[in-house]
Amino acid sequence: MNTFSILSIFILISILISFAIGANDETFSTVHGSKTLTMREILIFATILAILGTFLLGRAVSDTVGNKLFGSGISDITENMVLTVLISTSIWLIISSYLGAPISTTHSTIGSIMGVGILIGGLNGVAWLKILEMSFWWVLSPIIGFAVTYIVYKLLHKYIINRLKGFKDFEKTERIFAYILLITIGLTAFSRAGNDCSNAVGIVIGLDTDISIDLILFITGISLSLGIIMLGRTVIKSVGNLTELVPSSAFASEVPTAGILFIGTFLGIPLSGSHMLVASLVGLSKARKAPRKGGLIKIIIIWILTFPMAALLAIGLYYPISLISF
Amino acid sequence: MKKKTIRNIEEVSNEYYIEFMKGAKLMHQLCIDFTKQKLNKNNLNTVIECESHCDRIKEEYIEILFKSKRALPFLVEDRYKIITYVDQVLGRIEYFSRFLKIYPFNLDKDYIKQFKELSDIILTIIEELVKTLHLIENNFDEAFKKTYTIQTQRRDARKIRFSLLENIYKNSDANKLFLTSELVNNLYHIAGFIEDIADYLRGLIIKYPSR
Repeated sequence: MNTFSILSIFILISILISFAIGANDETFSTVHGSKTLTMREILIFATILAILGTFLLGRAVSDTVGNKLFGSGISDITENMVLTVLISTSIWLIISSYLGAPISTTHSTIGSIMGVGILIGGLNGVAWLKILEMSFWWVLSPIIGFAVTYIVYKLLHKYIINRLKGFKDFEKTERIFAYILLITIGLTAFSRAGNDCSNAVGIVIGLDTDISIDLILFITGISLSLGIIMLGRTVIKSVGNLTELVPSSAFASEVPTAGILFIGTFLGIPLSGSHMLVASLVGLSKARKAPRKGGLIKIIIIWILTFPMAALLAIGLYYPISLISF
Repeated sequence: MKKKTIRNIEEVSNEYYIEFMKGAKLMHQLCIDFTKQKLNKNNLNTVIECESHCDRIKEEYIEILFKSKRALPFLVEDRYKIITYVDQVLGRIEYFSRFLKIYPFNLDKDYIKQFKELSDIILTIIEELVKTLHLIENNFDEAFKKTYTIQTQRRDARKIRFSLLENIYKNSDANKLFLTSELVNNLYHIAGFIEDIADYLRGLIIKYPSR
């Protein structure tokens, strides 16, 4: 099989993964939960931002995922390794999408890379220092999400919401917040597309090919959008219903996600937008002293399972893939 | 075909409350006529017509409420509940009017004063409810106070009701006793239900800032 054919297969699988990432993208759940936009409007808005974010911001994080995660025990990234990572990530994403749980694509991809790395290169097959550095962000980002949401909600209520006089006042103020929310969500969706696309194409870019990275990123953006349009609505509804949202509360939960994700993407750090958003929603429930709606336990269990499951899937799939492919 | 113009929700709710008050005032006037033994039972139909007119306005209100894509979901839900509850008050007014229409006696002189007091206070409670409903749109603090005014007035209505029932139960004519007590209870239950609405509104006023 020639290089072009091999690459075509990889890109096709990357497109499928991007599709699965889009299908699992819950960025717009707060917009849906607060009914700021209809589902149709959400899908149009999300599509535009997914393409723009992937194309304009995708390169830095893709480079981290593609070139910096395998350790010294691995001299070259082979086609079989790439194929294994891509397939195991997509299988895990499809399973969790089917269950309606917003998992981290980043964790799935990195779990798969770690599985392949350990299988091929032993403990030296993984760049543990880089993983440790990223783990710091993965632990810190949900904590920041929780804390910032809690504080922003309390401040908003102290200085704005508690001073509102009647239904009309609430209506007017919440409409203003609805527009502010859209800007925040737009920033989140834009950054998130740039961050998440790396999970699909980063490992392919690591293969060091002649194909234009811009073209790969553009195609990834399109498949990300298709995933959002065709399947993403299930996860958007599922997370949006986690807690009862009004635009001002939704804004409080989106501020940390938008901020951290934008900074992380800019710095080339693969982050989990899902974790931050869900942590923010939990912070919101805590600030409101409101009982959360069901579904959180299922989401947490799937989060915890993501690393080992993706790694085990990769380990289990590597040899069968090697036998049937190149 | 002429295109149906969609009215502003505020305009529709104002029209509803005007018609609602019209029904309440009509019922009150008919109660006064009844105490003066000048009741023309055919006039009770006007209350029934008023209720049916209010139903049509309510339907328009609900249609506007739910058709608005940008309306805040919690506000839509709460406004829907409010209009439904208020409509039930009107349902009770209509029920009372229908009952009065078939009530076969004149009111005994012993009951006239208290019955009039009861119908007066019911009208006042209805007026307070409509004021509260207007206030909740712009002034939570005043609306909150009004809900307590309604509670106090309802207690007064309850005192009058039991005092009136005490007199009615002295009546030796079982039919008259039963039907007159039903008449009084039906009138009083309007106030009882309005107090439930006031409690609900108070809950909303407490809940809103914590959203």
